[in-house]
Amino acid sequence: MRSAVSRALLSLANRSLGSDRRMWAMAMEAEFEAAVDDRRPFLFAVGCLFAAWREIGKHSEGRLIVATYALALGILIPMAALQFQQAVGFLSSADGPPFGMPSAGAEPNLYLIWSQNSAIPILLITWLLLGMVHLCLAWMLAEGDWPRIVKCGTLIAAAMITLSLFMSVLMLDLSPLRAQVAALAIEFAAVVFISRWHMRVFPNASPEMLTR
Amino acid sequence: MSRNRRPSKQMLLLLEALSARTQQWRHGYDLMKETGLLSGTLYPLLIRMTDQGLVEAEWREPEHPGRPARHAYRLTHAGVAFAQTATHAGPITFTKGSFA
Repeated sequence: MRSAVSRALLSLANRSLGSDRRMWAMAMEAEFEAAVDDRRPFLFAVGCLFAAWREIGKHSEGRLIVATYALALGILIPMAALQFQQAVGFLSSADGPPFGMPSAGAEPNLYLIWSQNSAIPILLITWLLLGMVHLCLAWMLAEGDWPRIVKCGTLIAAAMITLSLFMSVLMLDLSPLRAQVAALAIEFAAVVFISRWHMRVFPNASPEMLTR
Repeated sequence: MSRNRRPSKQMLLLLEALSARTQQWRHGYDLMKETGLLSGTLYPLLIRMTDQGLVEAEWREPEHPGRPARHAYRLTHAGVAFAQTATHAGPITFTKGSFA
């Protein structure tokens, strides 16, 4: 168990060092075997991780890695939590009066109630899907898997359009989506910024990366 | 632009270990054990000293079959000269440009 954790820490250290320090990452990995023989792999791996993080701000690739993790942990994970919260909030509000009622004293429209109740499962699934895709997007961003990031982005856009259409046509109320659309716009701008930065840092990366 | 730097206590320890046998290639883990430095201190020092031309690195065949090749280090001529000055005179000032 301790050895597995040590190897995971060393792997994280190697990833943090970036391509221009690849030789040092390989050097640390080779010395890890000596640390295992000496029964001190954990201390060695923690030290390597510390060394990698000390180096991270000194090269452009390292700064890109920090920014990517900040985006994943600071924006995408909270966005996923927001989607799950919206889904739970929506489910609890569905017990109340129908959405978009003209006034509190008006007679409930049976057709409206029926259509809204029918839409609840699909809206719930869409919100949960949005949350899951955000978690995937955070993971893909940390992995640097740009083709899948593009696919996740497309899926988020499709889910958001579906959600907007259902909310406007069936629920007659788009107010729960206002904050979400603003947050998605910020998120989209941040991902585009990181992708451009990525292209600056890796100018020789395959042009198929973003279109595959 | 040149930058003044004083070798730290850890760097002096490493210089001392490397200058004891200047022609011998040393592995990172052996240097850790000899100097008492942790990997989190040793590797940034080695990276910096290699960038400055004080230390040269080379991949060496593993001692045991099936193991990966190991990175080994030794002082360059500039490193030997710097180590002699630094370890005998204590912390000193040097310019980055002198190792370029």
